[in-house]
Order: sequence, then structure tokens, then C-alpha cells
Amino acid sequence: MAVKIKTKDGLIDISNGVIATVVGSAATSNYGVVGMASKNAIRDGFDGILNRANYKRGVVVKSEDNEITVDVYIIIGYGLKISEVSRNVQNSVKFNLKNQLGINTKAVNVIVQNVKVLDE
Amino acid sequence: MVLKEIDSKKFRDMVRVATHRIGRNAEFVNSLNVFPVPDGDTGTNMNLTIESGAKAVAENPSTKVGDLTESLSKGMLMGARGNSGVISSQLFRGFYKATQGMNTLNAQELANAFTNGVATAYKAVMKPVEGTILTVARVAAQEGANKANETDDVEAVMKAIVEGAKKSLKTTPDLLPVLKQVGVVDSGGQGLLFIYEGFLEGILGENFADQYQPDAGEMDEMINAMHHQSVQSQLATQDIKNGYCTEIMVDLTADVPNKQPFNLEEFRKHLSSLGDSLLAVSDDEVAKVHIHTEHPGSVFQYGKQFGQLGKIKIDNMRIQHETIVNSNDEKQDSVDFAVIAVASGNGIRKLFESEGVNRIISGGQTMNPSTQDIIDAIKKSGAKKAIVLPNNGNIVMAAKQAAEVSDIPVGIVPTKTISQGLTAMLSFDADSSVDDNVKNMTEDLETVVSGEVTQANRDTVINEVEVHKNDYLGIVDGDIRVDDPDLIAATVKMVGKMLDEDSEIITIMFGRDANKDQAEQVQAQLEKKYDGLEFEIHDGGQPVYHFLVSVE
Repeated sequence: MAVKIKTKDGLIDISNGVIATVVGSAATSNYGVVGMASKNAIRDGFDGILNRANYKRGVVVKSEDNEITVDVYIIIGYGLKISEVSRNVQNSVKFNLKNQLGINTKAVNVIVQNVKVLDE
Repeated sequence: MVLKEIDSKKFRDMVRVATHRIGRNAEFVNSLNVFPVPDGDTGTNMNLTIESGAKAVAENPSTKVGDLTESLSKGMLMGARGNSGVISSQLFRGFYKATQGMNTLNAQELANAFTNGVATAYKAVMKPVEGTILTVARVAAQEGANKANETDDVEAVMKAIVEGAKKSLKTTPDLLPVLKQVGVVDSGGQGLLFIYEGFLEGILGENFADQYQPDAGEMDEMINAMHHQSVQSQLATQDIKNGYCTEIMVDLTADVPNKQPFNLEEFRKHLSSLGDSLLAVSDDEVAKVHIHTEHPGSVFQYGKQFGQLGKIKIDNMRIQHETIVNSNDEKQDSVDFAVIAVASGNGIRKLFESEGVNRIISGGQTMNPSTQDIIDAIKKSGAKKAIVLPNNGNIVMAAKQAAEVSDIPVGIVPTKTISQGLTAMLSFDADSSVDDNVKNMTEDLETVVSGEVTQANRDTVINEVEVHKNDYLGIVDGDIRVDDPDLIAATVKMVGKMLDEDSEIITIMFGRDANKDQAEQVQAQLEKKYDGLEFEIHDGGQPVYHFLVSVE
């Protein structure tokens, strides 16, 4: 699956790996997000933090027309307001997809897969 | 006398003044917001976050500072809004952990609390970006810790923290390129500085008078925004409390009988008793005032004591408001197929109406209408189907959302400029379907090149164009392409960049801040340089843009 964008000069095809990298980088640059998590928590281990090369295991992209829906699986630091950190993730993912790839996002679903206790 | 410790009473003062200070300056912080997402809400978010903390402190009757820091931390956590709000809540979580159970704070303990706040805040971020609120907090805490090694004076430590924050804030544009490009300091860092300054004021028991002062250009923008807001708030005409929008300029250098010494704070205080929506700025020579009042005469009388009155202007907002309400209602006689356009400026409204647009939503660059505004306009049109022309790239999304939730079929033609909107209207056919119209109207957008001329409000470099404050900018299809101190020259250069061999018709709409004469000068210069062009000049009356130009 990939996102296709029609332009007057032809078709642009953006693979899901590219989108996953943009989404993952945008999500993890948010304050409070301590890592990306795998969407298959049971298979890949519950508390595994994904490295950059594996971001696509924590991002699900569904596309229709010129719009996409993204699911992002993240781990948040303990002691932060989860709803607000998640909202920040939604905003920055949306902004970066539009800004870097010119893709309109219909929805960004944030799944908080784990909370990591940071030593006090 | 050296202050050796902060007790619960002092701490309450600190929190209260800090909340007040960030609240007063929230709009300014918003205006700096470009990173990580340029959505202009950092100040509002930080204000709401600390307000929630301050409320929790006010509700806690304890006389132990440690209990109050706990309330502050919890309140801020519950009320955290936005990235900067979440970060602030962590800074004060660490602050609370370091002061847990303490009755009072001495200089060393205060410095430690800030340092621990920074340590806690840095833990919850994967890749700290330097040049943000985190950097400002870190440098400030470091300076505080250094000072606490030298002295046991609490005041001196807090002063060092404020100075550290100030110094660090100034370096943020060097650390974060996007800030440098736009020419601003980090908004979250600025917000934090306001909070720390508030703490210091609370300790000193006094108020700094150095509130941020907008310059004349920024003031105009604020006045615009405020007027858009009152128009959009859709209140009933009889509900307008202060009916006259009054603006005066006072020449403070002029001699007048019984001349009074001028003090901006007092000046503002007196004026605020005369009305609302007050904006007052001054430099050594001129004071400029905008106020909504029932007594414009009193404003003149008062201003006259300080010098000669320069420009004066009064608008009766009740009449203005009725006109707007009525002009919206007139269109109520329902049409089958409505076209709704976003625009500002009387001339541009008329142009759209002459092309068959049924309903205009006020808005544009300075005030983007919300999805709700668009939904309301669609509902009020009473039509069975509708087309929306957003006429601004920032409004396209809101329009699309409005279309999704609307009960009737609504098509969006993604027009990004007024010129595109006017061109699109040429292809509108009320007898075709929504989809066919969207298709036909969108096809034509590529045939028009849009240019906008406005004045720069700060120095910056964008797209390799060096922009100087107060110069005129030529913007072609959204990109800044020309900078020139002369309005006519900037416009002519800009049009030069818009032309190609197929160009035939040039339409120039002059705005509120330009006139027909200037538009004709532009035409004359262009006719000299290029052959075979046809010109049309209209009075657009739009704010912000001196000229809107389209080339077809």
C-alpha cells in the first residue's frame, strides 16, 4: 500500500515506509513521547522501544483518495498528561505530513501502548 | 535587608504575579509561535496551564511551601495544554519533588528546586531540541545554582535566574534555524521568562512596568483582528455596550495650554475607565489610542491635555453592525444553489457579489473564519446545494470540514487567493451539479497567477529574498519574491515576475492603504515596459494588502 498523489505532470507514489518515518520522527520529537512502540505488542514484546529503522512497525497508514488515516503507537513518560501529549502528537504528525509530503491527514489515531517510569 | 527565605505567603505572591504576567502577555507570546507547529497558541496554552496550577495553590490553605509546590505541580499537570504547557508542568513537577515537605525555601533550596525541575523535564524527551523552552530553563537554573553558591540572598538568586533566562532566550535564534529565519525568539522560552519575571516581582513585592509594547504596525494588525472578532461574534446590535470605535493620535511634542506630563500607565488606566477594547501605545513623540467607548468626546478631552491631537477617527459601530447584519439577512431569500466566498474589504465583496456570490464570510489573512462560521453561512443561505470559495490556503481545511458535516451537498473549490476566487466564479454554472462545478471552476485556477503586495512587519530572509521591516513585499502565488522600499516599484517588479508570453489581462485591486492614483501609476509603468497588456483597476478596499493583482 502506498499513497498516490495525482498532479498535472503525473503520479507521485509515496511508500508507507516514507510516511512511517515522517510520522515516527514527528511523533518522537514531541515532548513527553519517550519512544515508538510496536503495533504487535505481543509478538514484538510489550515494552520494546522501536529504533528509527523500525518505526514502520509502530505506524499504520490507511489511504483513500488524497487523504490518509494514521495510527501511531507510542510510549509516554510517567507523570505527564497523556491526553495532552497525545494531542500534541496528533498536531505535529498532521503538520509534518502536510508540510513535508503535502498529504492531507483525515485522522491521526494515537495509541498509548505503554508508560515508562523515568527515574525520579 | 537581605531576604533569606521564601515562606508560604511569599510563594503565593510569586505564583499569583507570575500567572498575571503571562496572562497579560499571552498574545505577544502567541505571536512568536513558529516551532514545532506554527499554530500561534503557545502563550494561551502556557497561561491556561499555570492558571490551573495557581488555582490549586489558592485552594490549598497550607502554610508550608512544600504543600503549595505540590498543589502547583498537580494543578499544572491536570491543566497542561500544548507542548509548552506539558513541559512547564514537568519543570514544576521536578520543582515540587525537590521541595516536598519543606516549610520554607532558602536560597540554596530554591536554586536546587529549579535545577531539579530541569533534570525532570529533560528526562521525558527523546531528543531535546536546543533553542527551546528547555534550553532557557536549563541556563536559568544553572545561573541560579551559581549564584546560590555565592550568597544566601533569595532575591539575588531569583534575579540571577531571570537574567539567565533572558540571556538564553536571546540565543535561541542561533540554536534553532527556523527561529532565525522568521526573526523571532522561542515562544515557549519567552513565556517561561514571563513566569520567572513574575516570580521575581512576587518576591520583590513590586510590579515591573516593562510590559511588552507593540509598535504602530503591530497595533494596526491588532485593531484589525479585534474588529474582525467583534464582527464575527454575531452579537445583537443592541448588545453593543460601547458604540463608538474611536482612534486618536496625540502629538506629545506640541505645546498646549496647561500641558500635563505624560505617563503611559496612567494614561491607559484613565482611558480604560472610559470604554473597552483599549489599545494604547506611545513613543517619545506620539501616543496612539484605539478604544470602544460611549464617550468619544471625553477621550479627545483627555488626550488634549498631553499635546495636540493629530489624526482622529470615530466610527459608529452600531450602524456598521446593523449594516453587516442586514446585508447578511438580505440574502436570506433562498436560492437553490448558493456560492459562499470568504473575503474582506467592501470593494472585493462587491466584486464577488457582482459575479453572483450569494453570501460573503468576513475574513482573510488576519482572521481565518472557523469551520463553524462556514457551516453557519451554509445554513443561512437556505440553499439545497452550495459551493464554497475559501480564497486563502489557511481556510481550505476548515471549509472541507464544514462540507463534510453539512446536511446539503457542498463543494469546495480550493482557491488560495482572492484572484483565484474571482476567476473561479467565471466558470460557475447554477444549472450544473456540485461536482461538475467544482471540476470546472478548479480547472480554471491554473490560468491565473496571483500577486499580493503588503508591508513587511519584521526583518527576515525568506526564499533568498532579503526582507526589511516596513518595505513592501511582492508575494506571487504565496511566495515572497520581491522586496522594495517603494510601493509602486515593488508592485511593478512583482507583476514583472508574474508575466509570461500568454499573459493578457492584468487586474489590480487597490486596498484600504493604497489609492487609485497609485494603481494607475503601476499601470503606466507597466505599459511602458510591456506591450499588448490590458488593465483593469478596481477599488478592493481590502485590509492588509495594498494591491491584489491577478494576471491571466
